[in-house]
Amino acid sequence: MAKNILLVDDSSTMRKIITRSLRQAGLDFGEIFEASDGQEALDVLEKEHVDIVLSDINMPNMNGIEFLREKANRDAIKDIPVFMISTETGDDIIGEAKSLGAVGALKKPFTPDKVSEVLGPLV
Amino acid sequence: MGFSGEIAAKLIASTNEIFTGMVMMEIEAIDPPVEPLGQMKNSITGMIGLAGIFKGVLAIHFTNDIAMAVTGSFLGLDVEEINEDVHDAVGEIANMLGGDLKTILSDKGKDIQLSLPSTIGGEEYVFNSRDSGEQLILSFKVPAGVFYIEVQLEK
Repeated sequence: MAKNILLVDDSSTMRKIITRSLRQAGLDFGEIFEASDGQEALDVLEKEHVDIVLSDINMPNMNGIEFLREKANRDAIKDIPVFMISTETGDDIIGEAKSLGAVGALKKPFTPDKVSEVLGPLV
Repeated sequence: MGFSGEIAAKLIASTNEIFTGMVMMEIEAIDPPVEPLGQMKNSITGMIGLAGIFKGVLAIHFTNDIAMAVTGSFLGLDVEEINEDVHDAVGEIANMLGGDLKTILSDKGKDIQLSLPSTIGGEEYVFNSRDSGEQLILSFKVPAGVFYIEVQLEK
């Protein structure tokens, strides 16, 4: 069954680019939901059936690290996998994200081939 | 670490990667301007701040025509005015460049913090940052003209 994806990024441009890259990568996915920060993402996860979250780190209101921390405290959604897509690639930031449950990270900028390579196994 | 040719070369490589891989536009690095950039006319600037072991700002300056062409190519749309999409796209390009600059300066992560990207634009304006520190300006040619990346940093 095709998996539903939640894209979390404060840039509408980046949400469009990620969606385009998923399509160009030929990945089979279901519905795509969008959120512009961590708080909106939590709201979507509480309401919709989401299988995978692709999240930025640097965002206003609630950033990606705060989102992971808050999500981990909510039993109903804590096991939904989160993959980070960010300009942040420093070992300590990605390490913190992984310690809070992130299953991987993809650096911006990316190509559809890279999206296929790293997200294909998840989607 | 100063603005060695190596850092400039890495930023040029990053810019090429962003434009060819995501914006889907070919660019050509050309000789930087001899004089300061001075007054921007009918332009839009995306910028991102750095704090921590390095403090400063990275800015990318587009004329409106280039910004619309870049946004159109980035999103696969016809863009005929400076709208929210253009500001968002220019901000996101600044964001990716800022992330790459951070990686160039430090591979750890938390010793340099990035601000959220922002944009300014208008008929005439001057982009000024701190006078102290080092400055780097890179120039790139695209079919619609020339755009600039400006970095001002101090350690």
